Amino acid sequence: MTAFNKRPFGLLAPNRRTFLKASGAALTTTLAAPYIARAQENVLYINTWGGPWEEAARANLFDPFTAETGVEIRTVSPVSFAKLAQQVRTGTYEFDITTLGGSELVRANEAGIIETWNEAPYEGALFQNGVASHAFATVIGHRTDKFPDGGPKNWAEFWDVERFPGPRSLQRYPARILPIALLADGVPEDELYPLDIDRAFASLDRIKDNIIVWWTAGAQSAQILRDGEVDLIGIWHSRFFEAQDTGAPLEMTWNEGEIDRAYWVVAKDTPNAEIARELIKFATSPEPLAGFVMQANYGPLNPAANEYIPEEDAERMPTSPENYAKCFEQDIANLGADPSEISQRFEEWLAT
Amino acid sequence: MGATISRLADKPNLWPWLLLTPLALYLAVFFAVPLFDVAVMSFTEPSLSFANYERVLTGKLYQQVFMNTFMTAGLVTLSCLLVGYPLAYLMNHVTRRTAMLILLLVTMSFWTSFLVRTYAWMVLLGNNGPVVAFLAAIGVDPAPQLLFTRFSSTLAMVHILAPYMIMNIYTVMQKIDPVLIRSAESLGARGWSLFRHVYLPLTAPGIANGCVLVFVICIGFYVTPVLLGSPREQMVAGLIGTQIEEFLAFGMGSAMAIILLVITLAILAVYHRRFGLDKLWG
Amino acid sequence: MNRLMRILGVLVVIFIAAPLVIVVPMSFSDARSLQFPPPGYWLGYYYAFFNDWGWLRPTWNSIIIAAATMVLTMILVVPATFALVRYRFYGKSVADLMMMMPLAVPHIVMAVGYYSFLGDLRLVHTHFGVILAHTCLAVPIAFLVLSANLKGFDRTLERAAQSLGASPVRTFMHVTLPILRPGIMISALFAFIQSFDETVVAIFISGRNAETLPRKMFDSIRQEADPVIAVISTLLFAVVILALVAPAGWKSIRKRLRSKTPPAAILGSQ
Repeated sequence: MTAFNKRPFGLLAPNRRTFLKASGAALTTTLAAPYIARAQENVLYINTWGGPWEEAARANLFDPFTAETGVEIRTVSPVSFAKLAQQVRTGTYEFDITTLGGSELVRANEAGIIETWNEAPYEGALFQNGVASHAFATVIGHRTDKFPDGGPKNWAEFWDVERFPGPRSLQRYPARILPIALLADGVPEDELYPLDIDRAFASLDRIKDNIIVWWTAGAQSAQILRDGEVDLIGIWHSRFFEAQDTGAPLEMTWNEGEIDRAYWVVAKDTPNAEIARELIKFATSPEPLAGFVMQANYGPLNPAANEYIPEEDAERMPTSPENYAKCFEQDIANLGADPSEISQRFEEWLAT
Repeated sequence: MGATISRLADKPNLWPWLLLTPLALYLAVFFAVPLFDVAVMSFTEPSLSFANYERVLTGKLYQQVFMNTFMTAGLVTLSCLLVGYPLAYLMNHVTRRTAMLILLLVTMSFWTSFLVRTYAWMVLLGNNGPVVAFLAAIGVDPAPQLLFTRFSSTLAMVHILAPYMIMNIYTVMQKIDPVLIRSAESLGARGWSLFRHVYLPLTAPGIANGCVLVFVICIGFYVTPVLLGSPREQMVAGLIGTQIEEFLAFGMGSAMAIILLVITLAILAVYHRRFGLDKLWG
Repeated sequence: MNRLMRILGVLVVIFIAAPLVIVVPMSFSDARSLQFPPPGYWLGYYYAFFNDWGWLRPTWNSIIIAAATMVLTMILVVPATFALVRYRFYGKSVADLMMMMPLAVPHIVMAVGYYSFLGDLRLVHTHFGVILAHTCLAVPIAFLVLSANLKGFDRTLERAAQSLGASPVRTFMHVTLPILRPGIMISALFAFIQSFDETVVAIFISGRNAETLPRKMFDSIRQEADPVIAVISTLLFAVVILALVAPAGWKSIRKRLRSKTPPAAILGSQ
């Protein structure tokens, strides 16, 4: 901090000696940096979603873990599947642990870029070498100042730009968007999978001109809704509540909410794999997990955590019986096409 | 001294080579090799073939992105000229003090990180920003979508690149001999014809310089279009970034990078033959 | 014509000034979002910046990387500039062109190259890797500034010193270097700024241990338009103003003592 204040002045006022000394010192620190980094092995890097997600994780998962084990935890955000894959390619690790959604997990496991598990941290935890942590839903949110008579109640209405005019936003994430596009086109929930890709893109064509932002990070989706850059949005329920809690005039519906599961994974071949496994075991054990999901409004996937969650706290969770009945789950194993190909096609569609 | 010079000319002098070698080696290893890496990857990733180039040159998406890049760069260059010329003119026709203040403003803009300027445009053009409020006040309600469109990214790029244009035109304008203008006026040249026949030809080198510089920087621009633009009007650099970061498609990204590089170098080579490259930035 | 040009000129001044001016009030805003005019004012986001290692660490990284880049660049560029300005030799025009190349190649192309090249060397995400890359990008700018200075150098002074019996080394240390010092300083400053502001290559190759400020800002703008960005913008802006105004003020003081005009270089080139 002081350095930030002083250094620029030192550079501009031409005092050669301080200048040389300072740069000399800087160079030495820099050259030594890799070795210093290696010396502090007791740091675990976690790729997080940032914002309230990270606050909740820090308070309930990371800090208690640090207190127990002495391992410092640093975070990198946002969550990026591509970075995970890069790390294995380049051999330099930006993070040791990340959370992935279902379709990414399948991709990651097929590509062999995550560590395998021999025993499950809790019963039923493992799916494709990911440890199930919590459930979240993509729901419809709208601004009540733009739609005083109520907003869209399902994806077909979200697609109805005559009845609900205004700029919209969806996530730049085809595995979540294509099922939604099919629902909007009239496909019943139980016939979604395997996905009819061509029909989904045809459905997306109808709304393309009205989607002005394809959001890529959770914080961004909350910000553009809160600031009124868009009037309608497909958004994670937790991020919606974050935006609503700032006092913005917003409403959402659980109806046709699309549930996805978040899984903890360990980056393949990271030198910190053992501590990473310890952290994941800790993070999915009943009490910490319960604290985390209560603060961040997720649904716990370790059933034992439910014991610690009072009923009224489950109101904002997609897994509460009332909300769950309105939502639908993704069928990741039955997608109907190669996720990478879908992604490429989606990006090409987006840019043309 | 004269004797020394002739002696140096006779013998091959080792000094310049000695002085140049460290930098030349450095650039060879840390500049040329990475660049060569890109070229190699464009042919070898994922397997040895021309497939990447074939896809970039024939695929609809890629053609469109390249077209869009040139259109945008052209538009930005033209706008910079329209913005820069009047300002340079103004700077030469006000008091020295005012001219210095404007120069200070332009320099300040130039030195301010372009991330800062990009962010400022987000504030200005957002739905809670002053531009939308102003439009509402004069009766344009609802205001058109400004942020995350081609308009916002183009405007911000014009703002970021305008100083290059202004500096170039201002420098040549400053060198115009006032006597020349006065004698043209005494011969009856006024207004448009004075501008057309005296000012324009005299400032042409500055205009050419500014335009080449702005266009070349613009076709490689990454940050501003990515942050402010619409995904439907991507520019080449943004798409290269997506290929590398999202799809790990190093071959495709490299092929596009090489094409971008060849186009940039071709423009600069033409400039170099006419004017000499060292004049462009200097 | 004249009138129209003047009106246009004034509009352009507003266009250029508006984005620079707006970040300052924004940094004192108490709104969470991009709201202008701000609903209220406070210093909370300044407090947030100076208390968040998530912002301070990248700031510090950027300063270290820029300082080291500057030193390395000058070590390489000063001798090379002497060679190119003072000597004529076979292949000089090629060497001149080589110096300019890093400026001609779009940064995104270099970013792809460094990503793969430094990845192979295991230098991605390290300070050292970023410094190596930034030095290449800073070379042409430092060279342009320094060569302009060296070309304007009056060599009769060196000759005078030598004719009075000074050895070449002594002449260099006691005549050449002191006279060139302002040029070298400004050239070094340009190299520093080039590295400090560089964004595209840093986005691809700095991370985890070496995350630079521009990269952090880019991520933050892309993700959530964090109001702390306005604070950093204002601080950076303040540094720019200081850097531009300080030499002018300094100059007017020194003018009484000696007549010399170094600051022209700051405004002139690039």
